[in-house]
Amino acid sequence: MILDEDQALIKKTLRGDRRAFEELMRKYEKKIFSFVVRMVRNEDTAVDLTQDFFFKIFTVLDKYNFEYKFSTWAYRICYNLVIDHIRKNQAAVDSLDDESVTSRDLLESGHVIREDGFKALARDETRDYVWRVVDQIPLKFRELILLRYIQDLKYEEIAEITSLPVGTVKNRIFKAKEILKQEMEKDGMLI
Amino acid sequence: MACLSNETLIACNEGSLGPIEAARARDHMLLCSECRRAAAAFRALDMILAKPTLHTPPARLVPQVMERLFPSLPRITSIAAMIAASTLFLITWIYIYFDFSSSSLIQALQLTTDGASGWLAGVIKAITAVYTGTQAAAKAFAALLRIFLPTPVGTVVAGAAFLALAALLANALLRPWLRKARTKRS
Repeated sequence: MILDEDQALIKKTLRGDRRAFEELMRKYEKKIFSFVVRMVRNEDTAVDLTQDFFFKIFTVLDKYNFEYKFSTWAYRICYNLVIDHIRKNQAAVDSLDDESVTSRDLLESGHVIREDGFKALARDETRDYVWRVVDQIPLKFRELILLRYIQDLKYEEIAEITSLPVGTVKNRIFKAKEILKQEMEKDGMLI
Repeated sequence: MACLSNETLIACNEGSLGPIEAARARDHMLLCSECRRAAAAFRALDMILAKPTLHTPPARLVPQVMERLFPSLPRITSIAAMIAASTLFLITWIYIYFDFSSSSLIQALQLTTDGASGWLAGVIKAITAVYTGTQAAAKAFAALLRIFLPTPVGTVVAGAAFLALAALLANALLRPWLRKARTKRS
């Protein structure tokens, strides 16, 4: 079996090479932390959860199946860890299961924070603005946008991680983009 | 022809429409400026989302995980210091409450060198002089302690202090293994 870079590091870790696991953590820490911090919207909690994630990955590493991509397996563990945390602290975050809500409802209900005055700003600031809007959209849309764009995953991989049908994943990502586009248009960020 | 839905526009940008649907969408956009603008807006959004602002985790993140996974052994120096403290404490206690000075090796040496000459006898005499002085001070200190701490109380105090030192030592030695066992359990 041909091993990719991650799998080679896992093999080394399983043979007792601590540095290999450290390398694996260094490789993923930024993406995982970015995902977690945008999910929980609190940096201290994100640090704890990211550390718990790596800790958990290490303890279950011997159960990893080399036939699958490590990243998908790891992201699934990370996703479940974060969702568990959010469920336990649900009062502090928005609803996870509000299926009936539409993008128009979300915009009108004030779920999305309006930011004015970005019209003539530079590209980096536009990007920051968009990602701030992403941070404000409901979790069921946000998690998919984060998996798609921060973790750079395909729809099928996202479906596998979240245990949602591929159609639902696509539909929610489309809806999330609709919300974002409308927000950007309102603030004159597009066209 | 009705305008294209947002889903169709996004799918068109992603290239996930079938060939017939894609051709229809392209034809429509040639004639409809509204849909062209909407498609461009989604493309712009995609470009921004595709380059996310990643958060940099604090530098302590990985080292702390490593420390949690592989707790470092207690420093040899701290273990040595604790063993030395425990031993010294025990010896002091024995010395205070049981006088072994009469069987001292130093005194035996002193007897053998009495009346002798030469550099070795000189060295031994110097050592015994220092020893005798220290012993006198220690005896005075021991007598003072015996006044304030009679043997039964002294034994209890010494015993408790010795146990505390032993517990500290055991904790320093066993902590990594205990942490590892806890890690495995969790």
